[in-house]
Amino acid sequence: MNKYLLLLTLLPLSLLANLNIAVSYPYIGAITKSIGGKNVNPVVLAKGNWDPHFIIPRPSLIAKVRNADGLIINGGQLEIGWLPPLIRRAGNPKTNVNTKTFLNLSRYIELINKPSSVDRANGDVHPDGNPHFHLDPNNILILANVIKLYLSSINPDDTNIYEKNYIEFSQMWKKKISIWNEKMLTKRGLKVIQFHDNLAFFNKAYGLTSIATIEPLPGIPPSSRYIISLIKLIKKENPAYILHDVYHSTKSAKYISSKTGIPIILMPHDIGALDNIEDLISLFDYLTGAIK
Amino acid sequence: MKKINKILLSSALCASFAYGDVATLLPAEKRTFDQSQYVPDISAILDFSFVNNSVKNDEIGHLELPGIAHGLLGEHTDGDTTHATYNAKQGFNLNYVEMILSSNVDPFLSMDAVFHFSQHGVEIEEAYFTSTALGNGLRARGGKILSNFGYLNAQHHHYWDFGDMPLVYEAFLGTHGINELGAQLQWTAPTPFYLMAGFEVLQGENEMMFGNATIGDVEDPIVKGVDAPSLMVGYVKTSFDIGDTTIFGGVSYAQGSSMVDHSTDEEGPHVFSGDSKLYGADLVVLHSFNSYSSIKWQSEWLSREMDGTQYNLDVNATVPVLALNKKQSGLYSQLIYTHNQNWKMGLRYDTIYQNDIEKSAGDDSFAPTDLNKYSGMVEYHTSEFARFRLQYNHNDAMYGEEDDNGVQHKQSVDTIMLQANIAIGAHSAHSF
Repeated sequence: MNKYLLLLTLLPLSLLANLNIAVSYPYIGAITKSIGGKNVNPVVLAKGNWDPHFIIPRPSLIAKVRNADGLIINGGQLEIGWLPPLIRRAGNPKTNVNTKTFLNLSRYIELINKPSSVDRANGDVHPDGNPHFHLDPNNILILANVIKLYLSSINPDDTNIYEKNYIEFSQMWKKKISIWNEKMLTKRGLKVIQFHDNLAFFNKAYGLTSIATIEPLPGIPPSSRYIISLIKLIKKENPAYILHDVYHSTKSAKYISSKTGIPIILMPHDIGALDNIEDLISLFDYLTGAIK
Repeated sequence: MKKINKILLSSALCASFAYGDVATLLPAEKRTFDQSQYVPDISAILDFSFVNNSVKNDEIGHLELPGIAHGLLGEHTDGDTTHATYNAKQGFNLNYVEMILSSNVDPFLSMDAVFHFSQHGVEIEEAYFTSTALGNGLRARGGKILSNFGYLNAQHHHYWDFGDMPLVYEAFLGTHGINELGAQLQWTAPTPFYLMAGFEVLQGENEMMFGNATIGDVEDPIVKGVDAPSLMVGYVKTSFDIGDTTIFGGVSYAQGSSMVDHSTDEEGPHVFSGDSKLYGADLVVLHSFNSYSSIKWQSEWLSREMDGTQYNLDVNATVPVLALNKKQSGLYSQLIYTHNQNWKMGLRYDTIYQNDIEKSAGDDSFAPTDLNKYSGMVEYHTSEFARFRLQYNHNDAMYGEEDDNGVQHKQSVDTIMLQANIAIGAHSAHSF
């Protein structure tokens, strides 16, 4: 009799044993894996080497959302162009917005550069502020804590595991942060150019000043007249580098570089953005090491 | 004990999640019944075009696909209502202003409504509620819907890669495709790849191919109608990825009663009553080079069988009632290359290659099968929200009316279209 009871109690446990958590971007998958441990299986929807704003809503992603036990998104309208139809198609109440198993990370970070007025005449602006907050390594700790609480709330039985993993992760991460801080100390005040302002949080964390973007407005490709005005600005302001994302064409940047002599540095925004960026540590090792 | 733990945990969770939520009194002017937070997502899409046809407005409406469809091109006035395909007239066309409202209703439902405002009035393009909480991959929908038959049918006009509908779709189903009142149930299978099956029960009022209403005087009808709903649609779709290539395919089937009313036609007025079946197969292959550049090959095959009775209403008709069986098939295949966020270009080939018509009394019907159309287009996007498209069509499928010897001659139509498609409001995300 007792044997059967034991089996009965084991059954739901074994079903819970593997939590499949769909996550929009690779960096969320990495944090989720670090906190969740071996019984949590993050399913990453977007590839790390592509523009996070423009992910093709492949039907295979519907299958991934449909089979998930929860969904963690970056938020801040970064996924607005591709994720909502996938959620609607999947028919999975666990991935619906405003449910216990749905987590929007942007709610736990104070977004910077929130526009005071929102008008598409100013390009495809993010009305809630800059959503690329994970590129400040200090924010990774906040997100890890939020994901710990989230996992504990949907699977309370493993709360101790998540707590233990979180402590280990945060201790390791804090050590890394101080190393990165030291590497970047001499870079404070450096002026840079970007393609799109996706390094806003990184620049803020390390005191870099982004003086302009190669796209004149968010989502609007540059015209040649704008490029000429940018070259003038660069000659006047003398920024040190063009920090370029990996997904936009570097054609305009190369032209600007040839005219002004300032070097281009490719800055990966997520895991998988470049071949050697395999985890969160290598992402920030690379970012903090790229600026010489 | 466990319960208390749970409560403690959840309250801790709430406290830590609701950052910045400090108990402060709102200023007096903010203590209102303001409901603006509940405004649904609103967007408006304008579709405006300039058209130049090689055939004049007056003549283009008389061209037909013999044995398949007539009155496809141009604008037609029928009593008080004006029917027109997209880009129907020479010169400027305001195809529509599409207004979309959408929002969650409650934890169990969402609602969407899509209106087409045109110079001829307002049409409800779609208006439906959708379940959000059924689970197990199930999704139910009710209202006026674009059927998920095939690939193109469920997409709105502004999402198509060309300004006009593929020939076979427009010839069989009309510009709006299968756009009906009804109920839809779809199930996404718990498989690692995408597999979806759906079933729809629809009113069946499509006037090109289906229909169930009594035709003629109610007291003395030409044909008596059948009970609605009278159209059933089923489909299975699947998709998988190979590296950066996505393959998406599906098969569809629709079956329903047909009441096709041509009783008011000037020439050879007739009515068809019977049963129709429509088969569809679609294949889309999309290869992405990077976030902004891709190549997409999209093809659909449609085949229909209409079986029933034709009533010839012309007083001079030699055979007033005859049995009629039509088997017709066609396809389109298009290749779209997206160069970057600004430029996109594509080619399309359309054909109807099967046109078998069997009549009980003397097989004299003219049913050509050399019906082809060729299209090319180039698009420029100023941003994600505005698109300008230059399209050229060489339509080599249309025939003119019978000449004095009773012979129909082919009349090809060349069309140049410049189309603007402009969107404002909520960010509309499209499914694959």
